[in-house]
Amino acid sequence: MPLVRPGVRRLFDLMLRRRDVSRRDVDAEVALHIDLRVQQLVRQGLTPVDARMEAERRFGSQKVLQSLEQQAHWRDRRMSFSEWLDSVGQDIRYALRGLRREPAFTGFAIATLALGIGANAAMFGVVDRLLVRGPDHVRDPERLVRFTATLTRSGVGEVTHATLGYVMYDNLLKSGSPIFEGYAAYTSDGQFTLGRGRESRQIAGGAATADFFAILGVRAARGRFFLPDEDDTSNPQPVVVLGDALWRSQFNADPAILGKTVHINGDPLTVVGIAPRGFTGVQLNRVDAWIPMSLASKNVTDNWPRAWSAQWLYVIGRLKPGISLDAAGSEANRVYQVTYDGRPTWRFARARMGATPIHFTASGTESTEVSVAKWLVGVTLVVLLIACSNVANLLLSRAIRRRAEVGVRMALGAGRKRVARLFVTESLVIATLGGLAALAVATGIAMLVRKALLTNVEWTSSPVSLRVLTVSFVVTMIVGLLVGIAPAAQAARGSLHSAIQQGRAQGRRWRAGSWPTVLQAALTACLLIGAGLFVRSLHEARTMPLGFESDRILVVNIVFAGLSDATFEQYIANRARRNEAWRQALERLQRRPDIDKAALAVGSPFGNAFGVDLFVPGFDSIPKLEGGGPFISAVSADYFATVGTRLIRGRTFLPTEGAATERITIVNETMARTLWPQQDALTKCMRISADTMPCARVVGIVEDARRSNLREAPAMQYYIPLGQEVGFGGTVLMVRPRSTPSQFAPTATQAIYEVGAIVDRVQTWPLRERIDPLLRPWKLGATIFTMGGLLALVVAALGLYSVMSYSVAQRTHEMGVRIALGAKSQTIISMIVRQGMLLAAIGVAAGILVAILAGGRLESLLFNTSPRDVTIIGTAALVLIMSAAAASFWPALRAGRVDPIRALKSD
Amino acid sequence: MADALPVVKGTLDVLVLKALSWAPMHGFEVTTWLEDRSGGALDVEDSALYQAFYRLEARNMIAAEWGVTENNRKARYYRITSSGRAHLRAQTAQWIRYAETVSDILTAPAR
Repeated sequence: MPLVRPGVRRLFDLMLRRRDVSRRDVDAEVALHIDLRVQQLVRQGLTPVDARMEAERRFGSQKVLQSLEQQAHWRDRRMSFSEWLDSVGQDIRYALRGLRREPAFTGFAIATLALGIGANAAMFGVVDRLLVRGPDHVRDPERLVRFTATLTRSGVGEVTHATLGYVMYDNLLKSGSPIFEGYAAYTSDGQFTLGRGRESRQIAGGAATADFFAILGVRAARGRFFLPDEDDTSNPQPVVVLGDALWRSQFNADPAILGKTVHINGDPLTVVGIAPRGFTGVQLNRVDAWIPMSLASKNVTDNWPRAWSAQWLYVIGRLKPGISLDAAGSEANRVYQVTYDGRPTWRFARARMGATPIHFTASGTESTEVSVAKWLVGVTLVVLLIACSNVANLLLSRAIRRRAEVGVRMALGAGRKRVARLFVTESLVIATLGGLAALAVATGIAMLVRKALLTNVEWTSSPVSLRVLTVSFVVTMIVGLLVGIAPAAQAARGSLHSAIQQGRAQGRRWRAGSWPTVLQAALTACLLIGAGLFVRSLHEARTMPLGFESDRILVVNIVFAGLSDATFEQYIANRARRNEAWRQALERLQRRPDIDKAALAVGSPFGNAFGVDLFVPGFDSIPKLEGGGPFISAVSADYFATVGTRLIRGRTFLPTEGAATERITIVNETMARTLWPQQDALTKCMRISADTMPCARVVGIVEDARRSNLREAPAMQYYIPLGQEVGFGGTVLMVRPRSTPSQFAPTATQAIYEVGAIVDRVQTWPLRERIDPLLRPWKLGATIFTMGGLLALVVAALGLYSVMSYSVAQRTHEMGVRIALGAKSQTIISMIVRQGMLLAAIGVAAGILVAILAGGRLESLLFNTSPRDVTIIGTAALVLIMSAAAASFWPALRAGRVDPIRALKSD
Repeated sequence: MADALPVVKGTLDVLVLKALSWAPMHGFEVTTWLEDRSGGALDVEDSALYQAFYRLEARNMIAAEWGVTENNRKARYYRITSSGRAHLRAQTAQWIRYAETVSDILTAPAR
């Protein structure tokens, strides 16, 4: 047995021995030439020795010979390449001819692959944006880290978050740590108001320290980013850098805007630069304007640069090359421990600092979108797998159908390799056509994902970017080889004689594609179960009782025209004027027939939350609950009816109750249960703000309402009449219109402007808008799993249909015999359908097994849904098996209609 | 053969094609054919001839095949392809026009 397999050696021949072959040819040719020349010269009268010398002289030196060999080698390579190219061209033409002859098969194969490849290309685009490429314009994003703090909260345990205080950034900066190149602090998910008065509009705003841009390695497209002087904590300069999109849409891309003044959040700021197109900082959401961190933070709290009481920004750092994330985290923690200068009793005294990759979220974890996106890549790969196995199956049965043709080809002298190459060429041609169609599919899916699912991401590249194209091309080629291997091997394997024989006998022994069908059914089952779980999660999340009716409520905020609160007297006077304006606004709205109810609130769901000191007779301290709190809200009379929070016992506030009347309060169920278990909370006493305050009597108990998230631990919450609040403020108007909140928004805005000049501008947002983003992960999962699941179902059903049709066509003879022997056509039909359903059932069983095993990993992404939900698994199984029955029914019908005489005669 | 003419650069390819347009030949046959036709006036370098063969073969103007001479020796026989014939026609026409023009200029009587 030779050491090297012949095929492998041939490969080496092409690369190495070819040169020897060329040389041998040249040597033989030259030798003949010289010999003939010698004979010629001898005939002319020279001695044989002289003749040879003369002949060799005439031919030239050894060097000439070498250059001849070189040229011959080059010629051989060129000719063999063009020969190869010719044969490839022939193969492609042959493949195209064959595909044109079977348009149904071709169309199905191309469409299947287009869906599979297209879905993958689109998902690659999404993952590329979310995970791989990092934010635009950021140099080496993998060397950027986001710092986190891990705190121990009583009753909750350790909580990690990335929202930190400026003091932590400041301490890192002063530490001069050797493993970091630099640090920056930023926020980029805020809302700014651009312009003044009624013409003002909300824009996406960011704030950053001056070193932010240097650390990211980004330069302004025009002008510059802030200078360190402009971000001075004690004297910030009023400057702003505009985002490219805003500059184009709002300022007509006018370069003269540099140096001009725009109003942001009511302050006149000088435009110093325009950010490059698509620059979003280190997050992916759009940012329309960047202002210095010191300017943005000046109202956060007293002594904000050194305060430990407020955390409102993110701190990032750039690692020196080669430093690991762990090293970064422990170094940040080391610096933190030696620089902490707050009181030893504060929670931060025992905090730990760490570092996460830059794409992690504020809670120091990977965002749900990213986790879901990773699953989606899995889903689309499964769809691609199904598509491939389907097309491979089709090609395989086609190869078997063409045994006779292949046999004839081989008889005419085509080698096995040549035949195999024909089949691979054909599958590559199909894959390429599928890949081209996939670009349209990818564009469609990507548009959908961008518009409907990942709306908060600033997409800067087209859905089919160069990277997506490259990936699609590679996937297409792999798919082409993958689906071509089995038929090519099948075609090349069969011996000449048996090929012709079996071709005539229609390859009866071969049962077309049982296991690919089972595999497809299994994968489809997984996808359908996944779709079911996400749809259920979305439904659960959407319909979960929040303790208020989020769909019905419009929230309105008034920004007042510049009232100076310089002295305490001014502040008191202005507060009275503002409260009066709020009261008038409420009255104006309440008078309208197109609203149901309206109320004022200081502290509202998915808005501000406040806590003040609370003293309850019988308690040394108020029990701490996992959800935090107790939280306090001051609300006007109709508040509970407006937002739809149910009253459990007692009464709500009266319109007459306010600052001047008796202190009263309404508590939520959790508070009633926690403070007065097994007692009636009504008429109990609470002292709010200070223990010297008069008793606030509990007059009512209301249901719990969510404060800031869909999933949160219960917390104590109590309400007092508007006007009785001390030490907190920030009113909003809650409106319950008869129409939808977004339809009513312009009317509400108009009505409130009529209150007078004190109203500078009116902001409105449907309460739903604050909740919908929280639903996004489930929406994303439900949409993509459902799309993938349906796609897989259709592809798998069509696959089963073609397999069953093929099997029926092969077994015409058998059916003829059965019918001739007295089988009823119903019996035959049910036999075939049963076979189809059996294949599907085996697959479904396997799929359910996989789904149950993998379900645990999906659990954290679901909402109040068990990954082993029996209804969902059962429904998915039923849908699949019924689809299998439907897919086998038509082939079965054909089998039942076989004419026994014709079937038996034809064989 | 001291007064033999060197072959003008670029014309050897056409000469080879011309030779092969008569019949398939091996290398030495082409040499003798050219020597006979020029009456010994053309000095074709042997190695240049083979370079011309390989060049023309790579450009698909001639094709080669191993055969046997009358004396039973293995020889590489060249034959002209259809694209070689077309090239020969075009080059011949061009060459004749060129030669006529040049000789017209060189032999024109002085004015």
